[in-house]
Amino acid sequence: MLTIRWLWYILLSCYLAFASMGISAQEKTGNREGFELEPGSVRIALLEPSVRVGSQSTGGMFEPNADWTEQAKENLEAELARKQELLGNEIVRLSLDNVPQNRELVQYHALFGAVASSVIEYQFFPGNRLPTKKKSKAFEWSVGPGLADIESLNGFDYILLIRTKDAYGSTGRKLLQVAGLLGAVAGFGTAVQSGEHIGMAGLVDVKTGDLVWLNADLAMGGDVRKVEGAEKRVRQLLEGFPGSSDSEN
Amino acid sequence: MWLKLFAAILTASIAAPTVAAEPEALPPYVPAYDPTTVDERGLWNQADELELLYKRSEHLIEDEELNAFVRRILCNTVGNDRCDGVRIYILNVPAFNASMMPNGAMAVWSGLLLRLRSEANLASVLAHEFAHFELRHNLQGFKNRRSASDMLAWTVVLGNAAAVDTRNSQISLFGSIFRFNRNMERQADLLALQYLKQSPYPSRASSQVWQYLMEEADARAAGRKIRRKDRYRAGFFDTHPTSLDRADYLLEKSMEYGDTGNAEQTAYFDAIQPWLPKLLADQVRLNDFGGTEYLLGNIAGVTGWTPELVLARAELYATRGKPRDLITATTLYLDAIDKGHETSEVLRGLGLSLVKSGRRKEGAEYLGRYLAQNPDAPDAAIIKMYVPKGDE
Amino acid sequence: MKNKLLLVIGAIALVNSPISAHKIVEPGEPRKVAKGTLMAVSGQQWNRLQQKEGKYQEVWSVDGHHLNRIAFYGAVPVDKPLIKERHKKRAPLPKVQANMLLPDIPVLLERTYRAQYSIPNFEIGLQEPAKFIGQKGIRFEYSYTNPDDEVKRSGEGFGALVDGALYLVTYEAPSLYYFEKEKEEFRGVVERLELREQRR
Repeated sequence: MLTIRWLWYILLSCYLAFASMGISAQEKTGNREGFELEPGSVRIALLEPSVRVGSQSTGGMFEPNADWTEQAKENLEAELARKQELLGNEIVRLSLDNVPQNRELVQYHALFGAVASSVIEYQFFPGNRLPTKKKSKAFEWSVGPGLADIESLNGFDYILLIRTKDAYGSTGRKLLQVAGLLGAVAGFGTAVQSGEHIGMAGLVDVKTGDLVWLNADLAMGGDVRKVEGAEKRVRQLLEGFPGSSDSEN
Repeated sequence: MWLKLFAAILTASIAAPTVAAEPEALPPYVPAYDPTTVDERGLWNQADELELLYKRSEHLIEDEELNAFVRRILCNTVGNDRCDGVRIYILNVPAFNASMMPNGAMAVWSGLLLRLRSEANLASVLAHEFAHFELRHNLQGFKNRRSASDMLAWTVVLGNAAAVDTRNSQISLFGSIFRFNRNMERQADLLALQYLKQSPYPSRASSQVWQYLMEEADARAAGRKIRRKDRYRAGFFDTHPTSLDRADYLLEKSMEYGDTGNAEQTAYFDAIQPWLPKLLADQVRLNDFGGTEYLLGNIAGVTGWTPELVLARAELYATRGKPRDLITATTLYLDAIDKGHETSEVLRGLGLSLVKSGRRKEGAEYLGRYLAQNPDAPDAAIIKMYVPKGDE
Repeated sequence: MKNKLLLVIGAIALVNSPISAHKIVEPGEPRKVAKGTLMAVSGQQWNRLQQKEGKYQEVWSVDGHHLNRIAFYGAVPVDKPLIKERHKKRAPLPKVQANMLLPDIPVLLERTYRAQYSIPNFEIGLQEPAKFIGQKGIRFEYSYTNPDDEVKRSGEGFGALVDGALYLVTYEAPSLYYFEKEKEEFRGVVERLELREQRR
């Protein structure tokens, strides 16, 4: 016969188990099968990176912080440039406005977002995987060869997409997290995140439109409000960047 | 996504001003506004980002004439100095809303054009949003609202435990975070009245806008058989709480001013005339019978029952489609034809309503006329199904 | 008490296990869809998604619902909406009507999307008669942009009314690249789609 006390022990151990492995097991990186990047060979367009840093109230409201954001942006771009220089690649920032065929580029930009969302939602959560995408076909995502026709992309081999958002959690929210977790474990309820540190970096082959690499983490490390933290974050974002020494290929 | 960000910016940019007294004269205008504190700059950056989304949105209405019209009304009302610092974005959304961001970007939803009846009404809406901007609403309100949203989060967790539909309650409760206190809204209202008083428009127009919105909400609720107390909660009312009091104090104040002016009703409808068919069609398709019926009737109050309005009303009844509705729709379509408005929409709508009412032969006649008028219509092939061969 | 424990264990197991929530649809195998109201045969592998928006709907996807989506709606009766309403009174959706004609089917879809998802621009294009589940049906094309992601999507639908109930299948995907990708396969699925005997 189960008593309330027993149930509490079970819930507590479940919470601990969850806390240690993260709320849901999540993978971080995907590569297109067979993709290789020769370092020193390529010209990359950095397409309007989106960097947002702020804090998060108990209610989950995101409050942007300009200083933190500016710092993070500076560090991000510096680290990106440095890392690519090490690889011998050239990286150029590309805006979505005031460029030839900007309307089409905007549409592709929106499509990149949809593709990235799909990868994160259906690839990086094992429980939500699409059974058709197995083994060698696991990482086949593309925006199609039409991308190569965009004039403003002439001369570039790849597009690099970067998105990060950091919302540092308050104490109140950390307390909520526990309550929510218990609810989640018992079969109902929302798992409430304390703080939100989401990052995504993706590489698209301009010639084919193929997404050749995507790195996404819903629980990133590195406190981007500090220089070293921002550097760490960029390192995490670019972890496994094709052609680099820590690449998984 | 920008709809949600839009709501966030709308709320985040408004807060209680530090001055408690009512402004008697328009304050001298300080055009350049540089955000100073870290939080302000954060909001400014977010506003800049959101403005880019507007610029690139598939829903942006770039029509030069319509944009020029809205801009002219704003400049007429607040003066050119103030007007210069504003960039206006008209978005194709069939609902009432307008907002101003800390960086000077103003967004207006196309649905509001159907819900106003004069240039003066439009002036009062634009002036109200601009007033929030001019009052330099700082982040005090933003911080205040944070504690309201704390409460929300607990409700979400508990709501789940009680097996309540979380998403629904999130949407409606989330809106309540952004409920400004009456004082903030009042300040903006009163400054806006000042603008109107010094403009060619009568300040009474402000009070009218609220009356219209409440009446529309009443009509929508009556159509959906919703109780009184739930009526002024959804949509626009979430961010701009209202009550009869508000319409009242606005009317009272404007009567105090005793200013007169030409509201320019006819000019207003002349200006939006090219857009009316599309705005009406979008509204009819929203599945809001009561609210739409109310809007149509009130536009007709100014312009009379023009053929476009009659057609919209016919479509409203035709889409609700109960047997009695089809009779009403048929009558209205015929009215439109009587007014010389034998357009493709009228012929098609009338033909199909007749067919659905069991009057297939008469319906086929009108559908035949539709096909003759529009041989290359994208739905010609399916409409042909209802025109038996030998009848043409 | 015991049920709660099982729930807990089940929840953990589900999260940990590699078994997907979505089921694979193999080509060439006839299978029941939309609560057994229809019989479908696919020409290639699809994923039957776990999530759906109401009891009449079943959704298939290849690359995820953002990128391609076949939605089957089976035997939606008179006075019912296509998908589940968020709130019956405050946010009602248009319903299937007894006197519906074929051209009313795309309009029902449009009004549903406008009301439920606040999609401001939804355009219906070509509409033509088509054989669908052995009936005289309609084939229609449409497009819209969802303000949530600003992606333009194209759509194609087939619908028919049988014994006062609505049967509808739609295929939607971003107009850029994705729509063309599975279009022919979708049309093949529709061609082979059959109505199943309904026991009422």
